[in-house]
Amino acid sequence: MYEFLQYQVRDAMTVDPIAISLKAKLREAEELFEIHDFNGVPVVDNQRHLLGMLTKFDLLNAFRFDAHTLVPHYEDIMEQLVETVMTRDPITVTPQLPLSRLLQKLVETRSKSLPVVEEGHRLVGIISRQDVLKALRRTTVGCEAPAS
Amino acid sequence: MTTLLYTHPACQKHDTGFGHPECAARLTAILNALGAAPFAALEWRDPSEATREQLTRIHSQSHVERILGRIPKQGHYAIDGDTIVSPHSGEAALRAAGAVCAAVDAVLQRRASNAFCAIRPPGHHAEPDRAMGFCLFNNAAIGAAHARAAYDLERVAAIDFDVHHGNGTQAAFEHDPGYFYVSTHQADIYPGTGRREERGVGNIVNVPLLAESGSAELRHAWRQDIEPALRRFQPELIVISAGFDAHYLDPLAELNFSEDDYEWLTRKILAVAADCCEGRVVSVLEGGYNLSALAASVAVHVKALMEAPRAA
Repeated sequence: MYEFLQYQVRDAMTVDPIAISLKAKLREAEELFEIHDFNGVPVVDNQRHLLGMLTKFDLLNAFRFDAHTLVPHYEDIMEQLVETVMTRDPITVTPQLPLSRLLQKLVETRSKSLPVVEEGHRLVGIISRQDVLKALRRTTVGCEAPAS
Repeated sequence: MTTLLYTHPACQKHDTGFGHPECAARLTAILNALGAAPFAALEWRDPSEATREQLTRIHSQSHVERILGRIPKQGHYAIDGDTIVSPHSGEAALRAAGAVCAAVDAVLQRRASNAFCAIRPPGHHAEPDRAMGFCLFNNAAIGAAHARAAYDLERVAAIDFDVHHGNGTQAAFEHDPGYFYVSTHQADIYPGTGRREERGVGNIVNVPLLAESGSAELRHAWRQDIEPALRRFQPELIVISAGFDAHYLDPLAELNFSEDDYEWLTRKILAVAADCCEGRVVSVLEGGYNLSALAASVAVHVKALMEAPRAA
């Protein structure tokens, strides 16, 4: 576990992750979720500045009952733009954040993954619950004395 | 005295397209339930089509012509994303409104103590000049207007326990103190109306309920808001917009009423009707999209109508 304490976000994150544009349709995002095992995809501009996060939660939220239709219509909702349903001002972390502190943040905010940005809010990575679990295992398995 | 059941085969031919929740199977489920032995005393009636005069007491002439003009010769036409019509929809809508008028005639002419109209398309979202939310003509409002125009009633109440607010009925009644409209519905879902502040000319009572509300909240609403206001109004006829989509198994909303709640509420309404208007009640089907829950809920509702207390 001591080794884990030495890790930073950049040691465990996925570098240069797939991202999506504001003007993409929800259909494209849903296809990404279908192909990859993403919980959320960062939304960026042309220079890869982070503008938001689109998560599976946001997609489900688009299907909630509302005042506009009796029945949510799949095709209509999938034609909506990412910018209409994404989470704006998402929680972000820096590559230098200790992984131990990232773990606290994931738990406190119940987030499944967080975008990693450097100065200027440029997207450099994404880090998920699974990445942290993997780092925990890698840094501890075989290194700890069995509990007595 | 008897309870009448108004329904018509045309209402089952109103085809809303594959997979649509407001489907013919709803009526099939209801009529199968009402065909069982405990309902042997129910008298079935075929309604004729509503007349233009009956429809235009609530709707504009142009609305009526527009809706009937949009009925396709084949296939489907989408009036909006929810509201789909097909070749038999025009007759179904006219028979549905006609059923409520015929039920009003029977009850006010003392040929029956009360009646249930197993009809579709439903009506309570249809505004005087706009079809929406599965609804083409506002069946309940048309029946209420018929009662006032043809029988000189001064006060007609509509009680709407569908999970969605009856924006159309409210729009038709809100400027006329001879009507009273009370609705329980889930807050903040379709169609977005039905806030407590919407009071018309003092003749509208909206009781929005939060998601997951159930039996306790319904009973509280009845005691606190609905029964006192209804008794103050002293209706000469009660029309029920009977939607059963507040049921805990319904897929289109998040209230948790049960069959027991529908039976309880029906008996409470009938008790007020017995005190105020010689038991005169006309109940009109609105929503309800889980077929077995719908059939079971309609069954207890109609059973209660058949066992209505004698007028005081």
